[in-house]
Amino acid sequence: MEKELHVLDLTIEEIHSHLLNGDVKVSDLVKKAIERVKKDEFNAFEAYNFEEALKEAEELDKEEVPSDNLLFGIPYICKDNLSTKGIETTGGSNILNGYIPLFDATVVTILKEKKAVLIAKATLDELAMGGSGKSGHKGIQLNPYDENKESLIGGSSSGSAVAVASSVTPFALGSDTGDSIRKPASFGGLVGYKPTYGLISRFGLYPFSVSLDHVGYFTRSVDDAALLFDTLNKFDENDFTSSIKERKAIYPIKNNEKRKICVIKEVIDSIKDEDILSRFNYLVENLKKEGYLVDYVSVDPSILKAIYPAYIIISSAEATSNNANLDGIKFGNLKEGNSYPEVMFNTRNEGFSELIKRRFILGSYALMSENQEEVYLKAKKVRRVVVNTFNELFEKYDAFIGPASPTVAPKINQASDNFDDTYLIADNYLAIGNFGGYPSITIPLGIKDDKMPFGVSITSPIFKDEDTFIIAKDCENILKMKNLSTKTKSIILKNMKEAQ
Amino acid sequence: MNFEAIIGLEIHVEMKTHTKMFSSAPIKFKAEPNTNITYLDLAYPGSLPRVNKNAVINAIRVCNALHMEIDDTLYFDRKNYFYADLPKGYQITQQFRPIGQKGYLEIDVDGEKKRIKVERLHMEEDTAMQHHYSDYTLLDYNRAGIPLVEIVSYPEIRNGKEARKYVEKIKEIVTYLDVSDGKMENGSLRCDVNISLRPYGSDKFGTKVEVKNLNSTANIEAAIDFEMSRQAACLLKGIEIHQETRRFDELKKETVLMRTKTEAADYKYFSEGNIPPIFIGKDFINRAIETSNELYDQKLERFLNEYKLNEVDARILLSSKELSIYYDEAVKNNDNYQQIANFIISEVLGYLNKNEIEISNFNVKPDDISDLVNLLIKKEINSKQGKDIFAKMIETNKSPLVLKEEMGATIISDPEKIRTDIIEIIKENPTLPDDYKNGKTRAQGFVMGLLMKKNKGKVDPILANKLIVEELLK
Repeated sequence: MEKELHVLDLTIEEIHSHLLNGDVKVSDLVKKAIERVKKDEFNAFEAYNFEEALKEAEELDKEEVPSDNLLFGIPYICKDNLSTKGIETTGGSNILNGYIPLFDATVVTILKEKKAVLIAKATLDELAMGGSGKSGHKGIQLNPYDENKESLIGGSSSGSAVAVASSVTPFALGSDTGDSIRKPASFGGLVGYKPTYGLISRFGLYPFSVSLDHVGYFTRSVDDAALLFDTLNKFDENDFTSSIKERKAIYPIKNNEKRKICVIKEVIDSIKDEDILSRFNYLVENLKKEGYLVDYVSVDPSILKAIYPAYIIISSAEATSNNANLDGIKFGNLKEGNSYPEVMFNTRNEGFSELIKRRFILGSYALMSENQEEVYLKAKKVRRVVVNTFNELFEKYDAFIGPASPTVAPKINQASDNFDDTYLIADNYLAIGNFGGYPSITIPLGIKDDKMPFGVSITSPIFKDEDTFIIAKDCENILKMKNLSTKTKSIILKNMKEAQ
Repeated sequence: MNFEAIIGLEIHVEMKTHTKMFSSAPIKFKAEPNTNITYLDLAYPGSLPRVNKNAVINAIRVCNALHMEIDDTLYFDRKNYFYADLPKGYQITQQFRPIGQKGYLEIDVDGEKKRIKVERLHMEEDTAMQHHYSDYTLLDYNRAGIPLVEIVSYPEIRNGKEARKYVEKIKEIVTYLDVSDGKMENGSLRCDVNISLRPYGSDKFGTKVEVKNLNSTANIEAAIDFEMSRQAACLLKGIEIHQETRRFDELKKETVLMRTKTEAADYKYFSEGNIPPIFIGKDFINRAIETSNELYDQKLERFLNEYKLNEVDARILLSSKELSIYYDEAVKNNDNYQQIANFIISEVLGYLNKNEIEISNFNVKPDDISDLVNLLIKKEINSKQGKDIFAKMIETNKSPLVLKEEMGATIISDPEKIRTDIIEIIKENPTLPDDYKNGKTRAQGFVMGLLMKKNKGKVDPILANKLIVEELLK
């Protein structure tokens, strides 16, 4: 661990004020970020954008730092399932090796306009289908908090989470279909956010499951997450699911108006880790002291237990169709054959890993006309029941909160993306946010044995993203874990102990 | 024949829009291959579909012409299959809720009207064009994503002629609405035929055969007639009809087997998540209909009632949409409807037919036809001069008024001027009135001859004769 903090180890807000004061230049930040990407020990990156980034930084050095654009000159990392013009974007799959897109994802375009500087692309579970950070073509992403390099960071936004947790950049773009931002945020001690469905454009996001996919990001503070929200929360005519609602700025985050929140008993009951439970209780007690009304409510466990099967069926069904374009004919890693079907077969057979093929087979099975009613449509019904249940809950509460994961990061051999029988409500309930398109955030909750972090998640009704941020900020104030990274861990631990 | 044919048609019509159904790529006829494309047309990862509003408006207009119930909300689904010409690996279509349902089309077969019910009309997108060569295939994605509507009839067609009439009527509708070129020969209107036979009186359906690759309405009729005899012959010999796809061989004038259908393909239809249901509302639908072009039948009614043309003339003028528009333009500022119709039918069509020119390539403007007919009506020129001027108009593109001056083609029809000339002639030949009164009627012709000579033949002869008689009798 480095003894002294670099400006790059601060939050976006703080880095911005250093840029404004002139005690750091954009090129200093970019060079440092590049240096850290090069020193990466956790297998987090795909393609690099170093040359372009340095060129941009030199240009930005000449410009006056605008006080109203906090993203000016801020280095960032982008998950490799977001299309970047001129930069190879493989989605973590061999089938797209060598594919260099002709266009930028809308979020990348916006950040370009804001003069944030893209440093590199972050690796991921293959085509974002996985939660371990093990399944991408780069292999396993390691958790930077585990000095023995035995723990996972989780996925699918594994590389992005590593980048922000190890302070390569103060933020990184990701995507979240089940919990692909919020779960790794928990294992990486990060703020991980996904907005209400339709607020941040999906144009340029490689589709996994278009009805569940969300573009989101990692930061190290709730304020940073809120300012990014204002930046990326834009109507996009290229995305037909983009909401036409008028956008309202939410940064800086307003004060608490004494909110009502709930905790789902069944989620808590399925968690065994005493450290997580006690830290969560600490948060709840302090929220009450702050004037929050916190209720423990019960939700039919059969509904909660149906979330994962419904999720895996819907997402696999959509995934088989969404990835049918990957046949090597128009772009991508073509494998020769004597006929079109043979080319397609060879390309897909060699291009996709075993796990992806399983998902496609499951998805195809669910969609077959003789099974559709029983499998796919039933899963969609389950989704509706889940959403109705939580919409009802939201009539009484501004949010539900709970630990973002039942454990700290699993060890490499503990987790896989193979389907298995073990089922834990607390391990799968974050997908509720994707089922309903609800705004949902993970922030750091605690650090187990002063080593491995874990998070708490907050989910609000659709279009109440501001509430999510207000509550998250109150939690952050209580928990004293703002700007946690491997670089700041010892300072944070000290602050936490003083507060408790 | 002992059998009744049960025939249903599936017609795909390419919509004429500036851009594609779900992408902003332009649609330009005869463009270089693979130039009318954008990200979605090649299904680049992360590209997303957007619905083309004009394609929806076009679809609504066709639905309306087919008397359909039109859905006020649009739903799109995916039809999943792998094929070389299908870039996304699925086609976006409207499987579960087509925009139009439960319509009908009235056809006229040998003077008898028959209603064919139309089951559905849905919007979808075209595939890429394949160019097959001996050992390779080239793909042109210009066609990928062009808006299509598919019109599915109920199996209420009974023979080849009815089928031809049905397709011709659809073609007439889409071309009059100007939503499509409707050209079977270049694929902007495609027709698949489903046909089975059953004994008269039976209420069961026989095994259905599909016939594809029909590129003219005449071939549709021929293919169905052939298929009816083929299937009947099989059935009479006790040979089972197999469910299969056949194509029409134009040279042999018969259908030939393409492939046997084992099981119906499973397209794993499900809803298109990238396009949420779009509420368009009744107002949008009504506006699309109100601003729609006139259909043939509506135009015919107007020609009969407003222009008071007879049905024979009206139908001649409606024989092509372009000709009917030409006529409409010609009578826009001229209410001599019948005279203009006469001129167009005899002179304009005469010229076009003789020289095998399409009205769309005719260089004379309808306004000029209107002016020319006016000159004739006002007797400023005679019919011989009219023909000469018309010929010159085609040759020079000049207006009839200019040509009239240039060619000196005028008629003196001012009675005072003519009378003055007559009086002068009589003064020079003072015996003429008495000659005339004494029965020498050639005096009249004598005056006329001098009058014409004096005016270089440009005197209105009818008026002149009347005035000559008056003056001679004085």
